[in-house]
Amino acid sequence: MPAFATLNRAFKVWDGPAPAPEEAVLEYTKELEKFLAEIERRAFRMAQVALRDPDDAMDVVQDAMLKLARNYASRPSAEWRPLFYRILENGIRDLQRRRTVRKRFMVWLPGPKEDPENQAQDPLENVADSSPAIPETLMQGQAMEKLETSLRALPRRQREAFMLRNFEGMDVAETAAAMGCSEGSVKTHYSRAVHALREQLGEVW
Amino acid sequence: MNERSQFEERARALFHDSVDWMDYALRSRLTQARVAALEAASAGRRPWFARLGVWTPAGGVTAAAVLGAFLWLGSPTSHQAVTVAADGQTNLEDLDIVASSDGNTDAMDMLQDDIEFYDWADRTAGAGSPAST
Repeated sequence: MPAFATLNRAFKVWDGPAPAPEEAVLEYTKELEKFLAEIERRAFRMAQVALRDPDDAMDVVQDAMLKLARNYASRPSAEWRPLFYRILENGIRDLQRRRTVRKRFMVWLPGPKEDPENQAQDPLENVADSSPAIPETLMQGQAMEKLETSLRALPRRQREAFMLRNFEGMDVAETAAAMGCSEGSVKTHYSRAVHALREQLGEVW
Repeated sequence: MNERSQFEERARALFHDSVDWMDYALRSRLTQARVAALEAASAGRRPWFARLGVWTPAGGVTAAAVLGAFLWLGSPTSHQAVTVAADGQTNLEDLDIVASSDGNTDAMDMLQDDIEFYDWADRTAGAGSPAST
């Protein structure tokens, strides 16, 4: 019959090797989960270095995961890392701004006015430890704490450049994409960060 | 390896050690956060009619509450049967109107029924005696 023949031809047009959209979504969702599982701990530690509070760091990381999965999951996987860190850094910056505003309002409220920056510094850190043998892990932990304190003292862009280049191991182009600036700016921020950190940590570290 | 590279390598090694030493509670929270983020994102990608299912129970409860409120407020018991004047006394004029408005004795109904008669009487009175017409 001619009518059936027409239908047959129509079916042949749509019968292709391309996967259905749902299968494609499942495929990149799996790949995205793998990517996030690989990156999440480092991202959390970097957020914790910047924000200090682990709960805030967890919130910012989860929010970055959600935004990446919701808005950029269909993008090529090579773009995920700079996109993720860009979202993460924006979240960190927004939270720090909210903290600053909150701190300004808290000045007008009654109650103890203690500076959390000074409060967080433990005076025992400056006391010399007389224990004969300090475990290696403890020494490394203390060294990391000093590095974190010095990183927090850096300007935001320098801290971002150092953490993305050094901790995350991104190249200059990827770091520039994550920070939303030129590659030259990344090099400048990074070299200034290294110089400042070395000055702050000194020979002892 | 120069001095600057050693510094950078040490910083990098310390950071990765701190990542490796992360306690299991934090690791578990991160895993939960990842799963929640991926689920929320996949829920957000579902078509609008698939997401309606979440709101169906809430919509049903709201509709039932609105209907119940409408029926309660619209019931006859919520209206006052007799109007009360500002001074607290029953308005007797209203009572007269209600009492007189039963079936055939309504004054307006009478006027409607005999409208032709009243029209004829009016024309006759204007023209002179009824016999002349």
